[in-house]
Amino acid sequence: MKHLMTFLLTLGLLTVSLCAVVPVDSGSANAQFHAGRTAEALSSYRTLLASSAFAKAGSFELWYNRGLAEEKTGEPVAASLSFRRALILSPGFVPARRQLSKILESLGVPFRETPIDKAFTLISPEAMILGGAILGWLGLLAFVVLFYANREKKGYLALALVCFVLGHGVSLAGSMTDPRRVAASQGVVTSKTSPTLRATPADSGTAAGTLSPGTLTSILSRNGAWWYVSDGSGHTGWIPSDTITPLIPALPSASGS
Amino acid sequence: MIFYGHTGWRLSLAAVLTAASLHAADVSVSAELSRPDITAGTMAELQLKVTGAQTADVPKEIDVEGLQIRLTGQSTQVQMVNFKVSSSVVYSYIVMPLRTGDFTIPAIGVQADGRRFVTSALPFSVRPGSAASSAASAPIPQPMLPQMPPGMRPRQAPRPAPQVPSANRLAFGEIHCAKKSIYVGEMVPVEIQFFFDAHYPVQVRGKVDFGGEGVLAERFPDPKESHEERDGVTYNVLTFHTLLSAVKPGSVDLAPAKLDSQMQIPGGAPPGFDDPVFQQLLGGQSPFTQSRDLAVKTAPLHLDIMPLPKEKRPDSFGGAVGQFDIDAVVANPHPAPGDPATLLIKIGGKGNFKAMGPPVLTNAEGWRTYPPTDKFDSSDELSYTGVKSFDYTLIAQQDRQLSPGAEFSYFDPVAQQYVTLTTKPLPLVSTPGSAAVPPLSGAVAPASAQGSPIPKQSTGPAKEGDPLGEITLRSWTTPVQRPEFLIASLAMIVATVALAGILYLRDLQARGGSDRSRRRRRIATLWSVINADTSDAISVYDAAVEYAGMMDVPESARDAVTGPLKEQRDKLKYGTGGSFPLPPAERESLLATLRGLSPGKTGGSIS
Repeated sequence: MKHLMTFLLTLGLLTVSLCAVVPVDSGSANAQFHAGRTAEALSSYRTLLASSAFAKAGSFELWYNRGLAEEKTGEPVAASLSFRRALILSPGFVPARRQLSKILESLGVPFRETPIDKAFTLISPEAMILGGAILGWLGLLAFVVLFYANREKKGYLALALVCFVLGHGVSLAGSMTDPRRVAASQGVVTSKTSPTLRATPADSGTAAGTLSPGTLTSILSRNGAWWYVSDGSGHTGWIPSDTITPLIPALPSASGS
Repeated sequence: MIFYGHTGWRLSLAAVLTAASLHAADVSVSAELSRPDITAGTMAELQLKVTGAQTADVPKEIDVEGLQIRLTGQSTQVQMVNFKVSSSVVYSYIVMPLRTGDFTIPAIGVQADGRRFVTSALPFSVRPGSAASSAASAPIPQPMLPQMPPGMRPRQAPRPAPQVPSANRLAFGEIHCAKKSIYVGEMVPVEIQFFFDAHYPVQVRGKVDFGGEGVLAERFPDPKESHEERDGVTYNVLTFHTLLSAVKPGSVDLAPAKLDSQMQIPGGAPPGFDDPVFQQLLGGQSPFTQSRDLAVKTAPLHLDIMPLPKEKRPDSFGGAVGQFDIDAVVANPHPAPGDPATLLIKIGGKGNFKAMGPPVLTNAEGWRTYPPTDKFDSSDELSYTGVKSFDYTLIAQQDRQLSPGAEFSYFDPVAQQYVTLTTKPLPLVSTPGSAAVPPLSGAVAPASAQGSPIPKQSTGPAKEGDPLGEITLRSWTTPVQRPEFLIASLAMIVATVALAGILYLRDLQARGGSDRSRRRRRIATLWSVINADTSDAISVYDAAVEYAGMMDVPESARDAVTGPLKEQRDKLKYGTGGSFPLPPAERESLLATLRGLSPGKTGGSIS
């Protein structure tokens, strides 16, 4: 039992360490926002997000705040990217989803809310993965203990086995649906004009349609200054890489940049 | 009458030309301290000069620990050299030391002409010492005065001027200061009047030149025009008002205020045109005039500047000198849970509002507060009297029924003492949002807090459009992509295996080991019984029967051995006198029989 407690404690500490409170004060930036000085607030949010505190992780609150400031300062495409990033970090954050929906509507970009997105408002994929893993491992440990301690009680053994299977099943489902799993290969069209999808990575390539600013794309291949993307609606083609911004931002260096 | 302000079209043209020229001009930004070191109790002036841009975005305050640096005003200077127009905007800051020591005023960021400029950092030191020893060796740059309109429209003289008076009768200046002895930081109104003989047209050139070392003069608003008669002569009077404030103690002799002007006075008429009758035909005006440049000056001004007393200086003193009162209002006394409330502190009265720091909040436990925004509503054009409002945004961290109070201290130069004003906490019923909710919240939105193992889930109800206050770290990768998750999973596998192994061994131990080891131990025990000389015959045959039964041999062979052994045992057990030691010969025969069950092996090593 002592060993079990040790490992559970380790797992708990690990879970807590995955989501720590950052010693960054956004109060001044928020006060600027409330005072109507949104340009200053936006600058402050950008400075905060470039701090070394976010060298390894992000803050959905700051990305959401930044999106609000960008929206207020007339940068809807940038705001859509910020809200998407907030949703990557916290897929169930409804205010960001609503703001994103509103902005994409103004940009003329379709916004689909899937049942999984709705489910994330009830439980986040992070919670599914970690909670499921904990339940699964607890089920397995309970099964082992019961097997040797009292294997005559088949009901308990079956229950432990169900916990094991169910927990790891939920964890697997969370992993598969976590938007961060595919976010590294996604980007948002952030150019002011609609870039043309081309059949070949060259300006002379045959045009295969355009992508509206704010569109979320999957980056299927990268060839220098040209990226082969798909908009999820069956439209694929090459677009200049400078018209698209990866969904996962370039993280600041640990020393702060 | 002097039409000082009726040159709009000329000003507009000049402005257009200036703007056009400035557009192409290079922008430069520089910062300069009036003195690199001062003594405690005195102040210095920091000037931020932006050349080539008409407007610039500069900080109102510069944060330096141990110093209080506040923007006090700005002035604009436009110069035209060889038809090239250049403009400089000078922003003046008061540098007030809060302690002695060496400081570095950091690089100041300035947004101008759509670009960002940064000045150099400036070293600055504050030395301990008496206030009287603070005579400055480095000059304090004079405050810039507003560009005066280039000229005044000549007016009709009211009566003929038969004789041109001396220059000091044509124009002169006077200066009136309400106090001759002031405190550092105190604002004192000053009136400067320039008298021009009303008989002659005059053009004002340049601006009022006024100021001196260690003294700041506020921007001059437009002068007032009036008429006044002195010694029987009517004068047109330009009256300028400004505020003086001192930055260091000591005696100061301010140079006379000066205003350059050009006056048209009658000149010598050529022969034949100097007839008085001819002049009267022209309405009393001589058609022949000459221009005379005049530097109209006032008398010098002497001021005794006293330092602010150090004793009994309240902690909440932020540099305000004057006479003030305080008022507090809660804008929204019943905010929704988690919503911010606004506490409005109003400081009214007269004094140095520009250098005034915000009041200090008291009883602020349970509130999250932010630095206030301030707004000054002046009731005069010099910003000497008015009301300065400080808006504090408050967010309840606990259930609160009262707002924080406020404390504001200033130095009253009339009473010559520090005064502390306080406001009591006001009714303000506010509760924080739910525990998992960021501080700014209101409307309800579904959250993902349920079932999450994350301790501070900030995805709770948040009012649309409000920024979130709390900052949490989330990884950009899923847990399964993180090494720590994989390590933890591996650790769980090892833990499970180890636990299973430990429990298995404990179970095995409880059951006396495995069947094989128990069988081996039993066989060895039986063999030792059979071999022991002290064993009685019944025990030997009991052991031999059990031994033979445990041998891994064909059943027929085993039965062939065990049958006679059982018969002999039963005979001894149920017959007569069986309890005796087995004879050695019989023992050897028995052992040989048993060895025959395991060919080539001794009894103790049966497979």
